[in-house]
Amino acid sequence: MASPKLQLPLPFEQILRRYEREIMRYLLRASGDRDDAADLFQETWLRAYRAYPRLEAHREIRPWLYAIAVNLCRNRARDGARRMRVIVADNQQNSAAERARKTHPSHNENEGYAKVRLGELLSTLPEKQREALQLRYFGGLDYPEIAEIMKCSQPAARANVSQALRKLKTLW
Amino acid sequence: MKLEKLIGGSNERNEQAIEELLRRSHRRLDHALKAMRRPEAAVGVVNSSLGDLLVALSERGIVLVHYLLGGDDLESAIAKLRLALDLVEDRSKIKEVGAEIRSYLAGDADALRRDADLTLAPTPFQKKILHKLQEVPRGAVVSYQALGAAAGAPKGARAVGNALHNNPVPIYVPCHRVIASDGGLGGYGGGIARKLSLLRSEGFALGKTDEKLPDSVVWGHKGTRIFCRSTCHTTARVDRTKIMFFADPGEARQAGLRPCKICRP
Repeated sequence: MASPKLQLPLPFEQILRRYEREIMRYLLRASGDRDDAADLFQETWLRAYRAYPRLEAHREIRPWLYAIAVNLCRNRARDGARRMRVIVADNQQNSAAERARKTHPSHNENEGYAKVRLGELLSTLPEKQREALQLRYFGGLDYPEIAEIMKCSQPAARANVSQALRKLKTLW
Repeated sequence: MKLEKLIGGSNERNEQAIEELLRRSHRRLDHALKAMRRPEAAVGVVNSSLGDLLVALSERGIVLVHYLLGGDDLESAIAKLRLALDLVEDRSKIKEVGAEIRSYLAGDADALRRDADLTLAPTPFQKKILHKLQEVPRGAVVSYQALGAAAGAPKGARAVGNALHNNPVPIYVPCHRVIASDGGLGGYGGGIARKLSLLRSEGFALGKTDEKLPDSVVWGHKGTRIFCRSTCHTTARVDRTKIMFFADPGEARQAGLRPCKICRP
């Protein structure tokens, strides 16, 4: 009888080397801040290392990694919002939403400003739509992957992205 | 600037920033990972006369010997092992272990040169039992009860059974050398047939279907350092927690015991 074939999981170092660049790219674009991105990057990989033995052999690695990164981004955004609530006075609440509604004539010319403006608009989107959009355009993931990360169906993932895009276009 | 262009592609300045960030993050990440690393172990499958074995080898010794019983046994064993260890492939090392095990089973008493690493033993008590068990020499067996007594748990025969059931390193930690107090052979994780063939390879005159130790074994007493035939009348009232059974008088002598003057084994 032939002895059973041993199939070892990929070494963690190999996963790290293969995906670190795109994870960093995603985090940098999703958080919009270098220090935040560096912190999230560190936390993402530490969590990934801790959870890696529990990843079943048949699961894809890329969506799993992005799911960790997305969850961390979401937590960070919520913590940030909580801190803001404490600091910001009553009359300044919703300032992000207000700013987003105002039109800025200059963002068509100025790239730096356009980026800031995009960040503002993104922060007004519902969480699901924002995350789906970021995964699609910042991470470059396809819809089956997005659906797996966000634990929803593929059509739902598609809908989230297109609604987000439509909202952005009306506000732009 | 167009919205699509802005959220779509990544530009060159961004890529530079990413490289810079990665450079900065590497050292920090390595440092943090170092503190939480699982121990590394080489794993591989080894053929032997006892069937296929999954073997894992850490820096400190053999961490795992697992009888592969077919089905998805290999996958589930690997999945369990991953929780505690970072697995790497190292064929040459595993080959050496395979050679050790094979020549031991062929009768070479000193073949098992590597130490057992009891990292995977679930509790401190079980670790203690397994440590104590390593003192039982080749060519001898003890009872669950006697092993419990030696490890400070004279009433813990069942607990000993549990510890042996959870023995991560069979063969190297000789859990096949533990039997029932009445001379019955007890059970074995890899099946009783494997226990029998291991004991046979260590000098016990056992047939393929035997359920008890043969009459040719001698009873050694740990306290008096005397060994008797199993038919000696002194064995009837002896304290069984002190008894170790030897395959033949020669093994008992080698362990430093003297023959009984009544039954003259």
